[in-house]
Parts: sequence; structure tokens; C-alpha cells
Amino acid sequence: MFEQIFLPHLDAAYNLAHWLTRNEHDAEDIVQEAYLRAFRYFDSFRGTDGKAWLLAVVRNTCLTWRSREYGMAKIPFDEEVHHDSANLPTTGSQLATEGNLASLRDCMESLPAEFRGVLVMRELEELPYKDIAEVTGLPIGTVMSRLSRARQRLQDCVAGRTKGASQ
Amino acid sequence: MEPYLDGELDASISATVREHLASCPSCEEPQRRLIALRAGIRSQAPYFRAPARLSAQIGTALRGADRQAFTPWRWVAIAASLLLAVSLAWNVTSLVTRSSRAGLFAQNIISSHIHSLMGTHLLDIPSSDRHTVKPWFNGKLDFSPEVRDFATEGFPLLGGRLDYIDGHPAAALVYQRRQHVINVFTWPSSSTSGETELSANGYHAVYWSSSGMTYWAVSDLRAGELRQFVNLYNPTSPPK
Repeated sequence: MFEQIFLPHLDAAYNLAHWLTRNEHDAEDIVQEAYLRAFRYFDSFRGTDGKAWLLAVVRNTCLTWRSREYGMAKIPFDEEVHHDSANLPTTGSQLATEGNLASLRDCMESLPAEFRGVLVMRELEELPYKDIAEVTGLPIGTVMSRLSRARQRLQDCVAGRTKGASQ
Repeated sequence: MEPYLDGELDASISATVREHLASCPSCEEPQRRLIALRAGIRSQAPYFRAPARLSAQIGTALRGADRQAFTPWRWVAIAASLLLAVSLAWNVTSLVTRSSRAGLFAQNIISSHIHSLMGTHLLDIPSSDRHTVKPWFNGKLDFSPEVRDFATEGFPLLGGRLDYIDGHPAAALVYQRRQHVINVFTWPSSSTSGETELSANGYHAVYWSSSGMTYWAVSDLRAGELRQFVNLYNPTSPPK
């Protein structure tokens, strides 16, 4: 039954939503909406472990939220263009002011959402590449390169270099 | 190197990479930095856990969606055709009973079950928490039904409802088994209509009594599975 399959992944859903939206209230709204959507599309779910399927719904709900928030049509993420949103904060160098190195958490939050997302999935959720591919709908090769770039960006930010997030 | 550290390489390739890394001086620094970065993430990036109430909120939202999702196309269509079949069949001797009183009772309780499936009135108190459902009946009935939950056995509690059976108020405790609904009607009484199992038109009803309370479990579940459920509630009932 739906709840038995999907409620065990509530923390995973909330964690991803929280990292993607960066605030707890939006995370709660997103998770609730994601569960309703998952329920409505339950007929299309095949398999026994719903984690990746549910997180895909959460991620898509975040994308819709984001485009609604910023009044834009869904923006496909272009790896070459670092533009994310007007509200996106601070670069690594801005964070690393007054001689303080940017905290790792600040750096993660400042990454563009798509980089942040794969890092959360790999490092906090410990999803294998193929599950990340299922959640994002990307080929595994793209997942690997995106993850590698995300790690590099994070590294640069923590080390206090300028390449943190968008301008 | 990253897929190796992520544990994504199969055993033989992984061994090859490991050997290479062990003997490659220029690999040492990037490897160390990556391991440190990953350790840093795990220790400093919080894993946000859902607030306690979120689970209950979602449960409530799903019940609301449930009624809308089930009611319009599944239950109304099914129930409408079944009601027609039932109304045609009541006069036919498909009831497994020996007396007309038992027959009337069967009609009554199975109708109540079907009626609960139609429209939006399956649950007055939608909650999987028996500590919420049980006290909800206080002040609404002059008895307090025992509420059990068998989610771990695959019969989760959906909630409760006030009902009226055979001339008196009853508590209905609602359970789910896959796509089937089970109503457990209960009221204080130790007497029985004489039957312990009834069937009509694909619906089954099983009776038991315990501690001065009468229980009837009604469902379109197969009789064997309904008895399995009854055995969870009432472990002393004899196997049939």
C-alpha cells in the first residue's frame, strides 16, 4: 500500500527538499505536495523500493516551486552557464571574508541547485550513481561529471577561492 | 578515481585502480583532498530530518486525496453496479443463512458496509493512530471500542466511523488490505444472531465476541483472508 512503501522515505524526501529550497517551511510544503503527486501517479510506479522514485517526484516538485518562485519558465540547467537565480547568494570569496574560510555548509548552500542536489544524494543520502540517474533523469555519465564538478566547486569554495556560485 | 572512491567500480576494475593509486605519487594529493572533502560533508552538512508532525499531516492529506481519488471513479462505479446486483439478488436464495432474521441481519450489515464505501463518508476520524481513534468515540458512543492496528501484518488501520447497525449505534473501525476495505462493526452485546459467518454477493461477514462486545468484520476480501484478519483480532477463534 502507498504509505507502507513511501512513508519510510520521509526523512530522505525532507532532507533533499530542505537542501534544494534552503528553508524548512518550503521543504515541508514541497514534501507534502510531492507525496500527493506520488499518490496520484502511484499506478505508474513499478518496483518495490520507492526511494528513488519518490525523490524524483520531490526534485521535480522543487523545480516547479523554483520556477514559480522566480516567475520563470522551467529553466533547463546549462552546465556552461552558471546563472541560477537572482536570489542566489554569495560566492566563495564573499563568504570567505575577514580571513575566515567559508564554512562547508555555507559553501554547499551557495552551490547552484543542480550541483547541490547531486552532492546531497551522493554524500548524505549515499545513493549509487544509478539511483541518482533515476532521480534526476540524467544519463549516468552526466551524473558522474556533474558530481565531479560539484565536488570541485565545493572544494574551491571551502578553500576560499572565488569560484563558488553564480554572479 | 571518483567512481572508485564512490564504490561504483566492480571488483576487478576496483582492484586495478587501487593498485594504481597505491603506487602513483601524483595521485596521492587529489585522493587525500577528495576523501577529506567527503568526510567534511558528512560531518558538517546536516541531514535534515522531517519534523514529527509532518508524517501525520501527510497521512491526513492522503486520506483527503484518497476520498477524491477513490470516490469518483473507483468506488462509485463499482458500488453502483454492486448495489444494482445486490438489490436484484436479495430476493434470491444466495444468502448462506438458515433463518429470515439472520438473513435480514446480513442484509443490514453488508448494506452498511457497502454504504460506507460510497460517497465521502468512510471515515469520521481518519487516523492510523489507535490512540487518536479510540478516544474520538468518547461522548459519541456510550461505550469505548477497543481499537487495534495491524499495519505490520498488512492490515493497516485507516480510522473510525459512527454507524448504526441492527437498531443500535455501533463503532466502525476501518482497515485496509491492498485495495479492499474491512469494516469492523462493534457494539456491546454478547448475544449473536446465531450465525458466525455470512456471505452475500461476494461480501463476507465474520462474527466474534470478546469481553462483552460483539464484533462483525465485513469485507469483499476472500473469506480465507478475512478470517486471517479476524484471527489477528481474536486469536482464540477456531480455524475453519
